[in-house]
Amino acid sequence: MTSRLDGPLKVTGGAKYGADNLLPGMVHGYVVVSTTAHGEITAMDVTAAKGAPGVIAVYSPFDSLEMRPAETPLFGTTWVPLQDREVTYYGQPIGLVVAETYEQARDAAMLIEVSYQERPAVTSFENGIPTAEIAPAPRPGVEAEITVLADGVESIEDALAASPVVVEATYSTATQNHAAMEPHSAVAEWTADGLIVYSGNQAAYIQAAELASALEIDVESVRCVNPYVGGAFGGKGRTSVTAFLAAAAARALDRPVKVVLTREQVFTATATRPATLQKIALGAAEDGTLTAIRHDSWSSTAMDRSFVEPTSHGTSREWYATPNLAVSQRMVPLNVPPVTYMRAPGEAPGSFALESAMDELAIALNMDPIELRLRNNSTAPPGHDLLWSSKHLDECYRIGADRFGWAERSPDGRADGDWLVGMGTATAMFPAIRFPATVRVTLRDDDTAEVGTAGADPGTGLWTVMSLVGAESLDIAQDRVIPLLGDSALPPGGLSGGSTATASVGSAIMAAATQVIDDLTALASSAGAPFEALEVSYEDGRVLAGGRSMSFGELLRATGNTTISATATSAPGEELTKHSFSSFGAQFVEVRVHKWTREARVSRMLGVFDAGRIINEKTARSQIMGGMIWGVSAALHEGLEIEANGRFANADLANYLVPVNADIPAVDVHFVQYPDTLHNPVGAKGLGEIGTVGMAAAVANAIHNATGIRVRHIPIVIEDLID
Amino acid sequence: MRPFELTAPESVADAVASPGTFLAGGTTLVDLMKLNVMTPQRVLDINALPLRGIDTSDGLRIGALERMSDIAAHPGVYPVISRALLQSASQQLRNMASIGGNLLQRTRCGYFRDVNMPCNKRQPGSGCSAINGVNRMHAILGTSDSCVATHASDVAVAFVALDAEITLAGASGTRTVKLDDFYRVPGDTPDVENDLRPGELITEVVVPRLDWARRSTYVKVRDRQSYEFALASAAVALDIQDGQIADARVAAGGVATKPWRLTAVEEALRGRPATTQSFEDAASVAADGAKPLSHNSFKPALLRRTVVRALIEGSR
Ligand SMILES: Cc1cc2nc3c(=O)[nH]c(=O)nc-3n(C[C@H](O)[C@H](O)[C@H](O)COP(=O)(O)OP(=O)(O)OC[C@H]3O[C@@H](n4cnc5c(N)ncnc54)[C@H](O)[C@@H]3O)c2cc1C
Ligand code: SF4
Repeated sequence: MTSRLDGPLKVTGGAKYGADNLLPGMVHGYVVVSTTAHGEITAMDVTAAKGAPGVIAVYSPFDSLEMRPAETPLFGTTWVPLQDREVTYYGQPIGLVVAETYEQARDAAMLIEVSYQERPAVTSFENGIPTAEIAPAPRPGVEAEITVLADGVESIEDALAASPVVVEATYSTATQNHAAMEPHSAVAEWTADGLIVYSGNQAAYIQAAELASALEIDVESVRCVNPYVGGAFGGKGRTSVTAFLAAAAARALDRPVKVVLTREQVFTATATRPATLQKIALGAAEDGTLTAIRHDSWSSTAMDRSFVEPTSHGTSREWYATPNLAVSQRMVPLNVPPVTYMRAPGEAPGSFALESAMDELAIALNMDPIELRLRNNSTAPPGHDLLWSSKHLDECYRIGADRFGWAERSPDGRADGDWLVGMGTATAMFPAIRFPATVRVTLRDDDTAEVGTAGADPGTGLWTVMSLVGAESLDIAQDRVIPLLGDSALPPGGLSGGSTATASVGSAIMAAATQVIDDLTALASSAGAPFEALEVSYEDGRVLAGGRSMSFGELLRATGNTTISATATSAPGEELTKHSFSSFGAQFVEVRVHKWTREARVSRMLGVFDAGRIINEKTARSQIMGGMIWGVSAALHEGLEIEANGRFANADLANYLVPVNADIPAVDVHFVQYPDTLHNPVGAKGLGEIGTVGMAAAVANAIHNATGIRVRHIPIVIEDLID
Repeated sequence: MRPFELTAPESVADAVASPGTFLAGGTTLVDLMKLNVMTPQRVLDINALPLRGIDTSDGLRIGALERMSDIAAHPGVYPVISRALLQSASQQLRNMASIGGNLLQRTRCGYFRDVNMPCNKRQPGSGCSAINGVNRMHAILGTSDSCVATHASDVAVAFVALDAEITLAGASGTRTVKLDDFYRVPGDTPDVENDLRPGELITEVVVPRLDWARRSTYVKVRDRQSYEFALASAAVALDIQDGQIADARVAAGGVATKPWRLTAVEEALRGRPATTQSFEDAASVAADGAKPLSHNSFKPALLRRTVVRALIEGSR
């Protein structure tokens, strides 16, 4: 178990985040946001603001900064602020005040008077359900509506009608914000070499590409630096408005500019997880064998329709063996802030619905909920021939049930004094994915090695994983490996998203290490080198031949080199035509609900996961623990309340609740370790997101076990449990 | 936040003679100044004034500048008071916040805290955004057509249950007011929250001696286990003799526009056996007269349940 390399720096304040960069001559920008959800800005009176102490410039749609929407292959189009006068949501960035100090910019911003030609705002998700639009195709070749039917079955309705036992219910989940600890912020400076931006983001190289596109400059002249990122969770995938504004304002003013969102602004000026509504019908035989799954899903989306929460596709499409399946995905465009990926997009809210429905089915069948799930354990996604490469969900459940004391669970819960106690369980799955990644490995003459890629470590542990995989691949001690990360000047790779970084970067490190060792042994036996013309091998950080050996540092010095480097790329390939890939897990939760006052508190939780090879158990556990806590938060606390006028009623951390320490008892995490080298050479599958999947359902199922009350929405609050 | 002038008066006389807004722990004032909800031009830091001391020799006397954490930790303080304090805010805030400031903290109504929204309390006559807005956390008792904001203090609920008084120093002398009388319901002037006169300083909180209040507790029901305001809370003290309730004190928080003394519940408890049945019977009148709002129709039931739970736990 290796401690996080960046831990000491973070707890002592030594880690430099984007906004910690203080550059000579730097000035401060404060973002102005709209106070209407829909309309056109007819005027912005900035006279008072411009005359306020310390103010250098005020930018608005009427006096804008030069930019255009960013275009990249990964994200398509990303909106940039101040380019037009249209307002499509409450809290939309519409201006930037730049002043000598942050306080001056903030105070001046309060003096701006904005006039709107207001238009009716569409803000009710519920009212929009009847007129919802079909979602765009998630990927080429995959439609929003998918039906798989057994031979001779005409429709999913027929399959359900023919099922001996059917449960059918509607579930809903709330709009959420990532609310990462580090608010979105950026420091930008233009130098003779081009633009440098310090800003927390999920991949330095992608941010550089978006900024280059928005500012219409060469990507080579943009350098993005983000060694430390204070949480991201999908909310820092696209480049933030702070980075666009800081970069454009710094260009206009020819001075370094820093822009930081306030906590309140983070809720609207970034993006949220959509609200969802899900209708599920499960048909089963008397023995619990699933005969049909129908999962129709609606997602709120912003007016640009740029993202839909893929709940049915993320869960029912893949999770259980069933001969008949129909999933659909619709969207309701609203005047709300942009929506985007948030930790386990699709799987997190989707699993609340599917795994609650499975619990309801178990009750209808009078069957143990674990037994029901194992009865329907799949060997491949329904209607697919590609088998799961490695699946040990049954073992997760067996170990979990044992560790958690599942055998003691009674179908009606139990009482402990004035507390009603219940247990619940749910399955967790998250696809194992990897992205192309390029890594440069450099051996240095002081016997240390650098392992570098551009991406980001938003607290996941990638720094540590890179040093561990680097040490293993180079056969040297971990403390001799220097990871380099979070700088777009490094080779592209290591995007922190989709739970992909360890598999993607790890595989590329292995490839680059093999290459550099080949180059090193070739150097060792080259003409004039210490092992000229010998058959050289490599072991333990040393080259060996003819009964002699030298460390790579000694060899480099002996041959007059300071370093030797190799760069290699690893990308998904043939394996995609051979297997289906996923991580799996079993979640267990115990809750206590007070008999009189009805608050539900989690008293115990356990997650058992099959996520392939675990490179570093310590950071892996932390990731999973964080994910499970996220699940409790979604189940019992988190949700943005959207008012009729489009304003978020609780857009601050006093009112947007997340659990505090007192809500989270010890979290038990266990891994069954089966390296999945069919997926990638490192054998690791993702675990950044799966920890949150299934948790909300496990909590809701435990609450049902404790109280007999089935709540089909999250967050579940006190009034849901008062009869 | 707007620029302001900060001075530190050296005596109580000096403080009450100076125009300006008092700063104690600043956990309400600075917070609201950052939001531009409070925009004082002159701020008077009173922390150097000699308003200290916790004296339990005859009832309880607390200097207005005593910190919430110190009062909660004092062994002579009635349980209902220390429990109300320990369930307030967070340890860090309790270390900063004074008891005088606590009693004058402002409501947590989200519209009051957002200067872009109409709010009669912040800007008289502008309207109340909560009545037709998101009002789950709001009050069901003591409300008016102009304001439905709850009083947010926990310890004030305990103080009101125990008939506490506050001592006020002003330019023209010192006076003592019962805390229950000090607070006002909003009526059509929700900007006037209490009986504090311009320039007046709270110097002390006095709780009359009540020996049986050793058997007392505070139950706070909220959406998370800590660091959150009450959806409903109850302060109770019970005088139980030979299994019979001789006397009782009950007040509620989180449900009303001021700390809400439940005298009808107290009346219903007197002379009854100390049983769950009696507690349930008495609590059934706790929410009489309540006017639930669109998002908090559950609050009358929650209030009754909270009172029952507090009586059960308080009677142990
Ligand atoms: C995040 C958060 C959570 C909180 N949670 C809770 C909670 O759960 N329960 C709860 O009860 N409270 C809670 N509070 C409120 C907190 O208890 C109060 O902010 C605090 O008690 C105020 O005391 P202070 O000394 O900081 O007051 P200050 O902010 O200094 O002053 C508050 C007001 O009182 C005036 N004032 C202060 N002292 C005097 C005096 N002696 N005489 C006359 N006027 C005076 C000031 O001018 C100002 O108007 C919370 C606060 C925060 C920020
Ligand atoms: S409830 Fe009171 S404080 Fe809240 S908006 Fe209405 S008037 Fe303002």
